[in-house]
Amino acid sequence: MMKRRYARKLFNLKRPYDLKKSDDLFCLAMRENAMYHYNNCEDYKRILDEANFDPTNIESIDDLIDLPFIPTLYFKHHELFSKPLWKMPIKATSSGTSTGFKSKIALSVGDLWRGFKMIKRLFAVHKLWSMRPVTYLIFGYEPTKHSDAGIMKTAYGFTYVAPAKKRIYAIRYSKEKGYQVDLEHMKQAFISASKKRTPIRTIGFPAYTYFLLKEMEAEGIKLTMPKGSKITVGGGWKQFYAEKVDKQEFYRLVHDVLGIKEKNCVEFFGAVEHPILYIDCEHHHFHVPAYARVIIRDPDTFKPVPNGQIGLINLLTPMVEGTPLLSIMTDDLGILHDEGCSCGAQSPWLEIIGRVGIKDITTCAQGAEDLLKS
Amino acid sequence: MILYHGEILENHKQSEKLKSLRNDCYKTLQAQDRLNIDDVVMACDKLAQKVKQGAYDDLILPLLEEFDIPYDYFLNHMPMFEKDALFKKMEIELGKDYQSLEGLNEHVQRKIYPLGILFHIAAGNVDALPAYSVIEGLLAGNINILKLPSGDRGVSVKLLSELIEIEPKLKPYIYVFDVPSTELETLKMFADIADAIIVWGGDVAVKAARSMASVTTKIIEWGHKLSFGYATLDASDEDLIGIANHMAMTNQVLCSSAQGIFVDTDSREELDQFADRFFKIFIDVNRKHKPIPFGMKSKNALQLYNEKLEQHETRKKIWQQDGISVMTSDDSNLELSMLFRSIWIKMLPKEHIITTLKPHKNHLQTVGLMVSRNDYQTYASLLIHAGVTRLTKANNMSRMITGESHDGSFPLRLYTKVVELEK
Repeated sequence: MMKRRYARKLFNLKRPYDLKKSDDLFCLAMRENAMYHYNNCEDYKRILDEANFDPTNIESIDDLIDLPFIPTLYFKHHELFSKPLWKMPIKATSSGTSTGFKSKIALSVGDLWRGFKMIKRLFAVHKLWSMRPVTYLIFGYEPTKHSDAGIMKTAYGFTYVAPAKKRIYAIRYSKEKGYQVDLEHMKQAFISASKKRTPIRTIGFPAYTYFLLKEMEAEGIKLTMPKGSKITVGGGWKQFYAEKVDKQEFYRLVHDVLGIKEKNCVEFFGAVEHPILYIDCEHHHFHVPAYARVIIRDPDTFKPVPNGQIGLINLLTPMVEGTPLLSIMTDDLGILHDEGCSCGAQSPWLEIIGRVGIKDITTCAQGAEDLLKS
Repeated sequence: MILYHGEILENHKQSEKLKSLRNDCYKTLQAQDRLNIDDVVMACDKLAQKVKQGAYDDLILPLLEEFDIPYDYFLNHMPMFEKDALFKKMEIELGKDYQSLEGLNEHVQRKIYPLGILFHIAAGNVDALPAYSVIEGLLAGNINILKLPSGDRGVSVKLLSELIEIEPKLKPYIYVFDVPSTELETLKMFADIADAIIVWGGDVAVKAARSMASVTTKIIEWGHKLSFGYATLDASDEDLIGIANHMAMTNQVLCSSAQGIFVDTDSREELDQFADRFFKIFIDVNRKHKPIPFGMKSKNALQLYNEKLEQHETRKKIWQQDGISVMTSDDSNLELSMLFRSIWIKMLPKEHIITTLKPHKNHLQTVGLMVSRNDYQTYASLLIHAGVTRLTKANNMSRMITGESHDGSFPLRLYTKVVELEK
C-alpha cells in the first residue's frame, strides 16, 4: 500500500492560488497518483501502455502534457476503479446530460479527506463559512435513496457551510411522479424569506435559478432578501445551453428581483469526473487552485494551445485514488487566461465557453437515429 | 415574432390573437371568393425574382454561409419557385388535368379541393423550411397555421410576410405563431382547428403530434430519414469524389445526407482497403470546402479519441486527418454518423440488403448508388424493396428537382381531397 505523501502535502497547502510555488509538489503528487492507478487499475494500465507512457517518467510539469487523458465520455461506458468498491464510501454519478449516459465514479475515504481539506481552505479564502443559520434554497434535486447524482451530494454537502435552518428543493421527488421541477414552490420560498430575518443561500443549477428570476421579474416581483443572503450557483447550465445568458444579465436579475448585490453572487464549477472546486473571484473568474492544473488543447492535434486561445478543457488533479481521474478531458471548450486579475489571485483563470457540439443539433437524420433505437 | 393576417406582431400579442384564430379561419372558409391558386403561384414567382435580385441577401447570405452552400448553387435553385416550375409541380403532383378532372359519368363531376386548414409543425434544421411547408399548403389552397421551431431566426416570418405584401389576398391564409413545444394546450387547440397536422421532425415531434390530434384530424408526417451511399468495390473515383463532395457540403445534417457508405463485400480486409482508398479522396475533397465549425470538430475529435481507447474491444478502424474521419467496423448496422464529415463505411453484401435494411423501412430515404451500369438494376431493385425512396448519383444525393416526390409521396396530393359532386 503506497502512502499518498505528496498528495497530502499538496492538499495541505496554505495558499491555494499560488501555482508556481506548488508546481514541483503537484508534479510529484501526479507521478505518485499515476503509478498508483497504473498498478491498481487494469484498464488504466492498458491505456498508458498503448500510449507507451511510463508513469515513473513524470519529472516535470511539462511531462504531464503527454500523460494520456481520459475523456469523460469514456467514464460513461466503462467503470474504472482502483480500489474494491466496498472500500469506497462515495459512489457518484454525473448528471448524464450530453449523451444520456452517466459517469460512475467512486471516492475513497482518503479522497474525501483531501476534498474536505480543499473545501475548508477555499471557503476560508472566499469567506463563505458562516456561523449564522441560513435558509437554503436548492435549485437541484431533493436527496433520496433513488439517485446517486454527484451534484446532489455536492449540493447537500454545501448546506453545512453555514448551519441550515431549512432546506427547500426545486426538483422534488414523489413516489407517483418521480422527480419534478417545481419552481412555484421556490418562488413562494423567496417571498416568504423576504419577510423574515434569516438570510438565504441558493445553491444549484443556474439555469433554473435564471428561469425563475425571469418569471418573477415578468410578474413585477421585487423583493429584498435579508442581509447576509448569497446566491451561489454551480453545476453548469446543463441542457439549457441555448438559453445560456450573459452573466451580467443574471447578476442584474438577482439584484432587481431579490435585492442581492453582485458581490454576493458566487459561482462554482466542478465535475464528477474532476472533483476539484473552482470558485469564482469577485471578478467572476474561475482561478485554477493549486490542487489542479488545466491544459487547453487543440481539437485537431490535442497539443496544448497558448493561453488566451480556445480549445478543449483538460483537467488534471492527483486528488483521487478511487478512480483514475488524474487527467480527464471534459466536453467543454474554454480559454485559460493569464493576463492577471485584480482580485489578487496569482493563478490563471479558466473561462468556460460551452459544450462541444450540441446534443440536440437539429438534423433530420439525427431524429431517425433516435427512432431506430426506440 | 408572429404573423397574423399580414401583420408582424411581437410575441406578447400572441395570446390575444389565439382567441380569435378559430373564428378567423372559419370566416375564411365561409367566404365565397376562395383563394385562387394562380395568385399564389404569381406571388411566389415575384418573391423568387426579388430573391434573385438580392433583395433578401442580408437574410440569405448568413444561411448559405452556415450551410456552406455557394451563392450560385442557391440561385440555380431559385427557378423552382418561379411560375413555370410551380405549375409543373402542380401538374406532376395532381395530374395534368387538376383544374378540370373528368367526371365519373355524365352526372358525377369531380373536383380537387384543399383539405381546409393545415397546422404545420416545422423542423428547425433548415431555416427557410417552415416557410416552404406553408407555400406547399397554399399551393393546395389551404389556410395555414405554422408553429415555428424553437430557435427560429425569423427567416420564415420575413419571407411569408413578403409574400403577403406581394399578394394581400393571402392574408387570411397564413398564421405564424411562436409557441414552444411545451405549451400543449395551445398546440392542441391548433390541432383541433386543423383538418390535418403536417409534422416535420423526429420521433418526439411525431409522437407529440399523434398525441394531440383528435380522431378527426389527419396526420401527415415528414419524419426524419437516414441516407447513405452504396458502392461495389470497383466504384469509380468519379463516384467517390462525388459522394465526398456531397458529404463535405451537407455535413450529414440533412435527411438526404449520406451518413456513410455500405460496400458490397463480406471481407473486412476488402472493406478496409476500400475505406483507405476513399479516405485519400475525402481528404483532397475536404480541402476545397469550408472548415468544419470548431465546436463540432472538437466534439468529433473527443468521440474519435474515445473510440481509439475502445478499439481493443470494438475492432473498429479509424482514419483521421484535418478534422474529418472514416471508421470501419465488423457490423452492418445502419446508424447516424458522428456528423460533420466523420462518417462510417460498413460491409453490406447484396444478399443481405433486404434483411439488414427492411427493419428500417420508414426511415430510409436516399441512396447514392456507386455500381456499374450493368448491375444498376439489380442493386436498385433490392434497395427499393428494402424501403429506399430515392436513388441518385453519388454527388447528387441532396439535389432538388421540381416535381420530385418527398419521401416517396406527393405533398400536394396529401394536402388536397377529390370531391365528387352529383347534380
